[in-house]
Amino acid sequence: MKYILAVVMTFLFVTNSVTAQKAEPWTPKQLMSTEDLAKKIENKQTDNLVIISIGPDEVIPGTIFIGPANNKDNLKKLKSKLKGISKDKEVVIYCGCCPFDRCPNVRPAFTALKEMGFKNARLLDIPHNIKVDWLDKDYPSTD
Amino acid sequence: MTFQRICYLSACFIAFNLIVINCIQGQTPTLKIGQKAPQISVLTIEGKPFKLTDLHGKIVLIDFWASWCGPCVKEQPLLKSIYEKYSALQKAGKFEIIGVSFDKSRADWLRTVNRQKITWPQVSDLKYWKSSIAKNYGIQLLPFNVIIDGQGTIIALNLHGKELEQFLEQKLN
Repeated sequence: MKYILAVVMTFLFVTNSVTAQKAEPWTPKQLMSTEDLAKKIENKQTDNLVIISIGPDEVIPGTIFIGPANNKDNLKKLKSKLKGISKDKEVVIYCGCCPFDRCPNVRPAFTALKEMGFKNARLLDIPHNIKVDWLDKDYPSTD
Repeated sequence: MTFQRICYLSACFIAFNLIVINCIQGQTPTLKIGQKAPQISVLTIEGKPFKLTDLHGKIVLIDFWASWCGPCVKEQPLLKSIYEKYSALQKAGKFEIIGVSFDKSRADWLRTVNRQKITWPQVSDLKYWKSSIAKNYGIQLLPFNVIIDGQGTIIALNLHGKELEQFLEQKLN
């Protein structure tokens, strides 16, 4: 019995660890919480902030809408847009279609930001989707 | 560590994992089996008005999806095989599938429907996650589905793969 329990626990521990250790182009420090961004928008502290949607829609006010970054044309559009932005600006990108592990857009977009040398590149931390983590919390939205 | 303590910790850990898996799979706290399904009143892909209550008398599989949702698109061939399997019941007015899309772009929606050769009715308000349908159904994650009976009562929530096939077989055969 003890042996079975040990095997079950090891399996669950390994499964969880493998999921958690997946290498991502962003670091935990580069994630911006939805709460922080919502506060900045509500307090009108967005002068040094560029908000870019690389998902299917723009939900957050003041967003530059690019479209899904897994589309090559949209990725080109993103890079072209970024060329006109100072590298010192805080650039926060978001998708929000799905959790990060399923999202096809956040990785190519964040990698582009990094490759272009943005020192303050941020990814909006949306663990579920833009509905659950933004709209359901009544944070400021378009429409 | 005592054996009882190991058992207790294992039970907690398994319970935690089950809760996480349940959340990840998009179970909705809003809906329960036995409740009436919230009304869906939108336009079809052809631009005609659609109401869920128009399907009174049919067992309906409501598939919530979007062209930008990879797992949703991957599920379409299974839905296609189900639709073909029960085509006689569909023609007899006893069964239907409705695709409710959370797309924003009509072009992307249309392209995916055509590419996947989806033949069952498609509806959308083209409002992405801002759709009131997502709110009314408490949808947390796609793909998600609801099966209702002829009276519009929910008889199954979020079944996929073999579970979905077996449930429909039991209800429709």
